[in-house]
This record gives sequence, C-alpha cells and structure tokens, in this order.
Amino acid sequence: MSILEYNGGCVVAMAGKNCVAIASDKRLGVQLSTIAMDCNRVFRMTDSLYLGLTGLHSDVTTLHNLFNYKLNLYAMREGRVIKPTTFASLVSSTLYEKRFGPYFAEPVIAGLQPDGTPFLCAMDLLGAMAVADDFVVSGTCAESLFGTCETFYRKDMNPDELFETLGQSLMAALDRDCISGWGVDVQIITKEGVTTKSLKARMD
Amino acid sequence: MASGPSLDFLSTSFSLSRVDDARLTPLQEGTSSAIALPLVDRPANFLRDAFAGAAEKDRLHFAHGTTTLAFVFQGGIIAAVDSRASMGQYVGSGTVKKIIEINPYLLGTMAGGAADCSFWERDLGRRCRLYQLRNKQRISVAAASKLLANTVYGYKGMGLSMGTMIMGWDVSGPHLHYVDSEGTRLKGNKFSVGSGSTYAYGVLDAGYSWDMGVEDAIHLARRSIYHATHRDAASGGVINVYHVKEEGWVKISSDDMMIIHEQVKAEKKAVDDAAEAVEGAAASGAETVAAVGSAADPTAAQDTGDASAASRGDVPPPASST
Repeated sequence: MSILEYNGGCVVAMAGKNCVAIASDKRLGVQLSTIAMDCNRVFRMTDSLYLGLTGLHSDVTTLHNLFNYKLNLYAMREGRVIKPTTFASLVSSTLYEKRFGPYFAEPVIAGLQPDGTPFLCAMDLLGAMAVADDFVVSGTCAESLFGTCETFYRKDMNPDELFETLGQSLMAALDRDCISGWGVDVQIITKEGVTTKSLKARMD
Repeated sequence: MASGPSLDFLSTSFSLSRVDDARLTPLQEGTSSAIALPLVDRPANFLRDAFAGAAEKDRLHFAHGTTTLAFVFQGGIIAAVDSRASMGQYVGSGTVKKIIEINPYLLGTMAGGAADCSFWERDLGRRCRLYQLRNKQRISVAAASKLLANTVYGYKGMGLSMGTMIMGWDVSGPHLHYVDSEGTRLKGNKFSVGSGSTYAYGVLDAGYSWDMGVEDAIHLARRSIYHATHRDAASGGVINVYHVKEEGWVKISSDDMMIIHEQVKAEKKAVDDAAEAVEGAAASGAETVAAVGSAADPTAAQDTGDASAASRGDVPPPASST
C-alpha cells in the first residue's frame, strides 16, 4: 500500500450555478483498520473558500495549520480576504517548495470568486494545478469518483440539485472503495452562506 | 491415449502433471485430471516470477479481505461470514458466497483466494461423494478435512491462498476443523479466519459459552461478523449465517450489515436512555436513599446512586446493607 493510501479517504467538489459544493468521507484508518469515523478533511479557509485534503492525515493536518497561518498573515498585510485563484497559487507553490521531499497530501479547492462565479481546482502532491468548471476529485477512490461524477453531472444546477448529485456521486464511489467511507459530509457554498449536511453512508 | 471414453474423472486426485494437452482427445480434455503446469524449469516459481517486475497494481491480486467464523456449541455448529471480495483497496464484489455447501451435511468457509477456495472445496465434495459410493457410508468430518489438507499440501509453496473451516455433523457428533494452504489442519471448537478475524474474536470470545441456546448462538455469530465488517475495511456487505444440525446444515439468515448496524445503534440508544433516566431519578433521590437506606428496591437504586455520585466526583456514602 502506498503512503497516500495509508489513512484512506477522499474529497470531491462540484460546481453549480453560482454555487459550489464540496464533500468528503469521514473515515480515518491505519491501513485496513478503522480508527475513527468522524475525521474532518475539508477545512474552511474563508467564508467562500474551502480546502479539502486527502492523503496522509498527518500531512493533511500540518497543511491545514500552515495555510491557516499563511492566510492570517495575508489578511493582516493586505487587509482583505484572499481570492480563490490567489489561494490556489499559494497552495501550489507551498507544495512545490517541497518538491524533493513532498507533503503526501492532494488538495481540492472549492470557492466562489468575488463576482460569484464558482472556482474549482485539484492538485497532486507536488502542486500541479488542474482547474475545472464541472468537478474535481481526490483520494483513494478518485478513479471511481471520476466515473460517477462524469455520469451524474449536469451544468447549472441549483444548490439543492447540486447537493443531491454530489452526494450520490460520492456515495456510489465509496461503496467500491474499502478504505473510504463510514459517513459523508457535504458543504454547499453560496453567496448567502454555507450549509453543511451529513449523509448516512454504509458503515462497512 | 485411450481409444474409448475416458474415466479420468474417477481418479482420486488432481495430480501434478506435465501432460501436453494437444495429445488428449476432446472427451479427455474436458475431464482431464491433470492441473496443467507451465513447461518451464521451476514451475513452482513461474507465477511469482512472471509478476516480479510488474508494478504493484499490475500484479495478480487475490480477493483476500474477509471475516469468517464458526464455533461448536451444545446445539451444533454455527458458521457466519461476510460477503466482500476486496482486491487491494478496490471492492470487487459485495455479494460473494463465502460459505460453500460441499454436500447437505458438510460446509466449508472461504477465506483467501476465492478461486482456490471454491475450486478445492468443490473437489472435496466430489471426493466425499466417491467415498460414500465406495464405502456405503458418509465420510467423517475429520477424514474430509484431511483429504482437503493433504490435497493442498501437495501444492505447498506454489502460491495457493486458502484459509477454510470444514464443519459437519457425522456419527461421532459435530466437528469443526481449520485447514489452510500452508498445510495446517487443526481441530477446535471456535475459529475465526480472515483480515477481520481479530475483531470477530473479541466479540465472540466475550459472549461464547458451550451451553448457549441456538438463538443466542446465532445472535452472537451475527454480531461478531457485524463488528468485524464495521472496523475492518476489507470486510463488509451481507452477513450470512448457517446452522449445522444432526440432520444437516440449514441457512439461517442473510442480512445486510447496515440492518444489524441500525439494530446495534438502537440498542445502544435504549441503554443510554435507560441509564440517563435512572441517573436522573437517582440523582434527585440519592441523598434520601443513602441516608435512609430505604427497603423498597434498595440495592439497585443505591448502586446506581453511588455510581452516579462517584462519577459526579462526590465521595459515595458507605452502602448500608438491606
């Protein structure tokens, strides 16, 4: 098992009409043994910017703390909230700084630009950015997620449809992955605010 | 070789043979008793070497993760299994039948390589039937498990992966044997095999007793597999339970683990609610009960009162005898 599959877990984000949603599973394991079913791997950076991290959980936590620190300093120096595109570049450079001894984490960034349009991007552990206008995936069942998202995605969904589509795509993929699952959390980000919903998933 | 119909299928074992299939007649081919070996210097190493250079994801991956258990008790034998076939981290199937019905009075479980288990246990069924025809009596469980153990021992080192439990009820009572592809054969009253076996053992050992009733035994077996499917990533799906009785085996149930999950959750909630209610009642009446030592249902209320007082950090008063 590779180091990126040691703890398990996956994150997926999808765009709708002037809204984005980001979802993750809740499992934390040590190879095949499940340790926790309430582990959080999607973090709020700003009110309209969320960062999901998969991979080695130790690096997920470290990067979360590191980006919180960097965003606090950014807010102090610039006196404003960071834009999603700028944050994505920040994440990319931070990861590439460790090119020859990387963080074993693969981020997914989901947010709303200042003008309300959705922004989605995913990166590998070295910081290679892939921006998409429909959906981005990361984690141990990434291939399955690509399949389910491709099947269920439609353009310009409203927040409720987006929640349903994203939830079903993730649940279908989780059932084919041993080391992800045990619960699902979905955050739906709109101009008005963020709604968090939990889905009942298979607990095996 | 033979000009008439071949009776190769009656021979007693699948022998390791270097038979060149081109020389078999069409009738013989279908009933050949030889498992073909690669025509190389060291056939035992062929499969391993073939994949030696490949990346991990291209190698031959066996469907391995599983939890199976079986135990003997006063009412016979209970066997319970999960139904997930995992290939590395991928869920290959959620509906695998891991209890193999060898014949109406013998059961075998599957753990390890699915093909290895199902093939060799079906072969065991064939040989048990031949024994019955030749000796006019059913084969004993000990003999059946020994046939399997000796068969797979002949392939030791060649990469078979099989951890199975053979169980049945013969003239000397119910018997359970564990047999694996290393050649181990163990007689016992309680076994659990697979990646989730450690979790199942915890629950099984805690609740097992020889004198259990049949319903309790079934409940225990189901719960043990449930807890293993919950914690072990490589186990899951549907929980199948069988009961071996004197007349033969019978399938008891086939429940999705999520159904058991809801039951366990509801039970825990009921226990928590009951404990809270008692704690609430005891907390309000704790001082009165402790001081007076009332006779009306004193022991239970006092014990809980003391316990809740202790948990609140107060020093519990000495329990007055009733």
